[in-house]
Amino acid sequence: MSVKQKSEAATFFIRGLWEENAIFRQLLGMCPTLAVTGAVKPALTMGLATTFVLVCSNVLVSLMRNVLQAHLRILMFTLTIATFVTIADLILKAFLPDMSETLGPFVPLIIVNCLIIGRAEACGSRKPVGTSLGDALGMGVGFTLGLCALAAIRELLATGAVFELAVLPEKFENWNVMQLPAGAFITLGIMLGLSNHFLKKK
Amino acid sequence: METFSHLIVVFISIAVVNNLVLTKFLGICPYLGVSRKVDMAFGMGCAVTFVMTISATLTWLINIKILVPLELDYLKYIAFIMVIASMVQLVEMYVRKFFPPLYESFGIFLPLIVTNCAILGVCLFIDLWGYGFLEAVVAGLGGGLGFTLAICIMGGIRENLEWADVPDALKGAGITLITAGIMTLAFMGFSGMIKG
Repeated sequence: MSVKQKSEAATFFIRGLWEENAIFRQLLGMCPTLAVTGAVKPALTMGLATTFVLVCSNVLVSLMRNVLQAHLRILMFTLTIATFVTIADLILKAFLPDMSETLGPFVPLIIVNCLIIGRAEACGSRKPVGTSLGDALGMGVGFTLGLCALAAIRELLATGAVFELAVLPEKFENWNVMQLPAGAFITLGIMLGLSNHFLKKK
Repeated sequence: METFSHLIVVFISIAVVNNLVLTKFLGICPYLGVSRKVDMAFGMGCAVTFVMTISATLTWLINIKILVPLELDYLKYIAFIMVIASMVQLVEMYVRKFFPPLYESFGIFLPLIVTNCAILGVCLFIDLWGYGFLEAVVAGLGGGLGFTLAICIMGGIRENLEWADVPDALKGAGITLITAGIMTLAFMGFSGMIKG
């Protein structure tokens, strides 16, 4: 890998972390974002599984970018992603059966996470392997961080604990609504508003 | 008669009580992206309902009649996504040939149905809950109609939001998400309507 390629990969990595963060900037992959962020543990697992699929499929798509036919590419992306999701699902079932039970159908639903297919289209099918790897890693880590931030807020307000460790004093009245779908929507809405307010001032 | 009333329970359960968008977070992307106008939302809802009913039926048949007897369970996800993608392709070709004006108005949204997680989600939930054939068909239809209901209500609210004085930072996605949160609270009133 030449120096130029290396720096390009690094730029893409950093951009995925914040500037083009999947959750707060691009609003991609919203379904898992809202569904698994009731607590930090499932959110972290989900983030890592998504990162795994994203990295593998982006690299593979990048490797076969020269032989892809334009009209068949979406189908090829989907099949590649579905294969890696099956692998991730089987690994989770084998080593973390409890977690796999909690996440339920949201692991196979990584297949239709628009973040992954979006990166395959925007980056994997155009750039060399190194850049695609950096891009996928950045996007994946950014996505995981976003998930964990949202999950931490919801878990803290819903149970007074983060990562199942008690943080708030016992007197704290738990906000049950934060565990419910309504809490997920409203928290994310407010977080988006805050990030827009403080960061988009130009 | 017994089975008929059971099917109605399945239908109401998936369309209203366990609404895919508002309680299972499926299909959030089109829900946020295509809900700016009521008529667009309704068109999207119809297309999704159609694809969802057929996909739920076909994936049930493929899963129970082909994959399970041959012990090819691990091919499930790939088979499901193939069915959905080819159904969408079929609908697209059919609409383009016979209803060109409708095709024009759908534009990019038709192919996007493939990545609508609600459809794959319904197929997976049907498998998870161990539904029978008729239940699967009804669940597909009910899920689609529930999606249409949610996205149309959202479209109506957002048309009115255009004239509301929303803080700058919350414009766009922020206020839409908060609205969705309040709608979810309203839909929680239905929970407990069906037991079990």
